[in-house]
Amino acid sequence: MTDQPAPRLAIRGLTKAFGGVRALSRADLTVMPGEIHGLLGKNGSGKSTLIKILSGFHAPDEGSLDIDGQPIVLPIPLGKSEAHGLAFVHQNLGLLADASVLENLIAGDYDRLNPWAINWGAEAARARRLFADHHLALDPHAPVSVLSPVERAQLAIVRAADRVQVHRAHGFGGVLVLDEPTPFLPIEDVRVLFATMRRLTATGVSIIFVSHDIDEVMEITDRATVLRDGEVIGSFETASTDRAQIVAAIVGRSMTTERVIGPYAASATPAIQISALSGQIVRDVSFTLRSGEILGLTGLIGSGYDEVPYLLSGATPARQGQLNLPPATHDLTRMTPATAIAAGIALIPADRQRAGLALDLSLTENVTLPLLGRSHSALKLNHRRLSEITASLMARFAVKVDHPNQPASELSGGNQQKLVLGKWLQLGPRLVLLDEPTQGIDVGARREIYDRLVELCRSGTSVICATSEFEQLETIAHRVLVFDRGRIKAELAGDDVTKSAIAHACYQENRTNAPA
Amino acid sequence: MRQLNLAYQVERFGLVIVWVAVILLFGAMRPDTFLTWSNFSTIFGSQAVLVIVTLGLVVPLTAGDFDLSIAQVLTFVSMVTAILSAKLGVPLWVIIPTVLVLGALVGAINGALTLYFRVHSLIVTLGVGTFLHGITLWISDSQTIGGVARALMQWSIIERFLGIPIAFYYAIGLAAAMWYVLSYTAFGQQLLFTGRGREVGRLSGIAVGRVRLLSFVASGVMGAIAGLIYTGTTGSANPSSGTMLLLPAFAAAFLGATCITPGRFNPWGSVVAVYFLVTGINGLSVLGFRTFVQDLCYGGALVVAVMVSQLVSGRKERNL
Repeated sequence: MTDQPAPRLAIRGLTKAFGGVRALSRADLTVMPGEIHGLLGKNGSGKSTLIKILSGFHAPDEGSLDIDGQPIVLPIPLGKSEAHGLAFVHQNLGLLADASVLENLIAGDYDRLNPWAINWGAEAARARRLFADHHLALDPHAPVSVLSPVERAQLAIVRAADRVQVHRAHGFGGVLVLDEPTPFLPIEDVRVLFATMRRLTATGVSIIFVSHDIDEVMEITDRATVLRDGEVIGSFETASTDRAQIVAAIVGRSMTTERVIGPYAASATPAIQISALSGQIVRDVSFTLRSGEILGLTGLIGSGYDEVPYLLSGATPARQGQLNLPPATHDLTRMTPATAIAAGIALIPADRQRAGLALDLSLTENVTLPLLGRSHSALKLNHRRLSEITASLMARFAVKVDHPNQPASELSGGNQQKLVLGKWLQLGPRLVLLDEPTQGIDVGARREIYDRLVELCRSGTSVICATSEFEQLETIAHRVLVFDRGRIKAELAGDDVTKSAIAHACYQENRTNAPA
Repeated sequence: MRQLNLAYQVERFGLVIVWVAVILLFGAMRPDTFLTWSNFSTIFGSQAVLVIVTLGLVVPLTAGDFDLSIAQVLTFVSMVTAILSAKLGVPLWVIIPTVLVLGALVGAINGALTLYFRVHSLIVTLGVGTFLHGITLWISDSQTIGGVARALMQWSIIERFLGIPIAFYYAIGLAAAMWYVLSYTAFGQQLLFTGRGREVGRLSGIAVGRVRLLSFVASGVMGAIAGLIYTGTTGSANPSSGTMLLLPAFAAAFLGATCITPGRFNPWGSVVAVYFLVTGINGLSVLGFRTFVQDLCYGGALVVAVMVSQLVSGRKERNL
C-alpha cells in the first residue's frame, strides 16, 4: 500500500504562444507538499511565462492546473491566485519603503481585514506573533526603509506565506513562488533567507524557487525543473544530480550562429584602457579595448555587466575608475555626459523610451540635438538645413519614416533604435557603448544594426556591447567578458565566442577560471 | 512642417478661428458697444500684463517646471516700485534695473531650492510666492500706494500707437523674442528637451540643472517686467493685485498649448489664448453678466484646455 500523497501543484501540458512564437510548449511541472522546487532556465526559456500564467497575468492556450488534487479553472482571475493558495514574491519584493513593516504586511489583505475599522493594536500583536513564528526580529512599526536587504526579502516571503495561511487551516500549506529573490544579496544573507524558507516548508508549505544561480538551486532545492526554449527538459532530484548535468540541460546543444565579425588585425594594440572601475555593483574592474574591436559584456542578472556603459559615459558617476582614451585620461568619478561626448564617447542606452529618444518631439529635433552649437550657429538655427541633415541620416541608416518632422513615437522599435544609432554615429565617436541594443527589435532591424556595428569597427571605432543575449555576442563580438558579482569571471575570444561557451562561463562554479 | 495636412492646420489655428467667431457673435449682438475700436484698444492695452505673466510661465513650463510665484513677483515688484518712486522719490532709471534684479533673484531662489533639495517646483514656488506676498503686505502696511512717477504711466498706458496703449507692443515684442529663442536657438531646443525628454537631454550633454535654473530666472524677470507695467497701467500698487492673475495666466498658457504649435507651450499660442479669453469675458460683461463670468471662463478654460490636449494625445498618463 504505497499511499503517495497528492501533489501540491500539478501542471500538465501548459502551452502559450505569443504571435505565433511558442513561449511555453506542453510544459509539465509537479511540486509535492513541503517541497522546495527549483525552476531553472535562460532568459526566454519560458520561466516567466509559466509564472505569469500561475499569477493569472497570462491565459494559457492549453493545459491544466491541479492544486491539492483539485482542478483549477484557467486563467485564474488576476488577484485571485491567493484564494487558491498561490502567493508570489518577485525580485522587486513589492514593498513600499516609506511605509511601516506593519502597513506593508497587511497591504492588500482584504479578505481578512475590515476595511472600515483597522484595529492597529491587534494587527501589531498579530504581526509580532507571526514574526516570532518565523524567527524574525522585526519591529512592526519600523519603516521598511531601515530594514536590511535580507530582512526585506524575509518580510516579503513571510507576508506571502501569511496570505496562504487560510489554506493551512484546511490542511493545505499553499505554494509560494519566489522569483529571483536573491541576485542582489551577499552569500551570507542568501543562507539566512534559505533558513526562513526551510522553516516554512517544515510547516507543509511548498516553494517554487526561480533562480539563475545553479549553486543556490543545488543548495536549497529538493528537486529542480529545467526549461529551455519553452519546453521542459527534465526534472531532477537535486541531491543525486551532478552540477554539469544541470548546466548541460540549461544550455543545451545549440546550433552555431553565423559570425558576421571577422578576426581583428593581429597588429591592433590596446587603444583604450579602463582601470579600477567601481560602481554600484561593479568592483575594481580593469580591461582594455583595441581600436576596431567589438567587446561584449555579459553575465547573469545582478552581475553588474550592464552598469559599465553608463559608468564610462558619465551617465551615472563611478565610485572609482579611470578611462584612458588617448590622448587623455578621464577620471570616471567626475565624468559627465558632456565631457564624454566631447571625448568621442557615445552611449546608446537600453531604455529607448526614456533615455534614447524624446518620443513627443520630432525626429529632427531628436537627431540634431547633439549637433546644436557644434557646426551650426546656436543663435540662428536653420530648420530646413536640420531637416535635410535628418533626412540624409535616415536614408543612410535605412530608417523608414514618412517625414523628418513626425514625432519619434510614431516609429517602430527597430526604426527608433536605428535613429538613436544614427544620432550618435553622425558625431564620429571613437568609443561606442551599447546596452541591450536589440531589445524588442525585429530580426530585420537587428541584422541592420549588426551590420552597422561591424562597419563601424572596420573604420577603427571601438565598441562595447553589454547584453544578456549570448547569441548576439556570438554574432558580433570579437571578445566577451563574463561578469559575476561585480567582477570579471571569464574572458572568451575569437573562436571561443559561442553561445554555449558563454552560457557555460556564466553558469560555471565560482572558482577562479583562467581566461582562454 | 506638415503644411499640406488640412486637419493639422485646423488644429493649429482652431483657437484663432473660434476667437474670430466669438468676436463676430458678440459683434452681431452688441454692435455699438462691443464692436468698437475703443473697446478693443482697451482690451489689448489692459491685458498686456496678463500676456507677459503668461509668457513668463511658458518658460518654466516648457522646461517641465511650474512657477506659481510669478504673480506674487509681479505684486511685490509693483509695490517696491511704488514705494521707491512715490515715497522715497528714487528715479525710474534706478528703480527699473533694481526691480529686474529682484525678479531674477526670486527666480534664482526658486531654482536653487527646486534643484538642490529636489523638491517639486510646484511646492517650492507656492511657498516662495506666499512668502513674497507676506513681504508685500508688510512693506505696504496692506495699503494701496499711489503717486508713482508719471513717466512710468506715460510709457505704459498713456502713449499709444494706432490707438492701442504702448504696453501692448511690449507684450508682443516679448512674445516675438521668446518665439525666436524657443524656435531658432540651441537654448530653445535645450529647454524643450529638459521638459520633454530630460534623460535624453542629459545624456546628450545638456546641463539640465542649469537650463532649469535659467528658466526660473527668466520667469522671475518676466514677472518683474509685468509688475513694472502693471504699476504704470494703474499708477499705483495694490498689495493683492497679482493674486487674481495667476489662474488666468495658467489657463492661457495651457489653452495656448493647444494652438499654433499644438502640444507645446508656445508664445504666440499664449497671446492668442489670453485675448480669446478676455474677448469672451468682455463680451459676456457687455451682455450684462457680472464678474463671476471671469472665474467661469478662466477656470473652465484651464480644464477644457488640458482635456483637449489629452484627447489629442490619446489620453496618455502625463506628468506636467
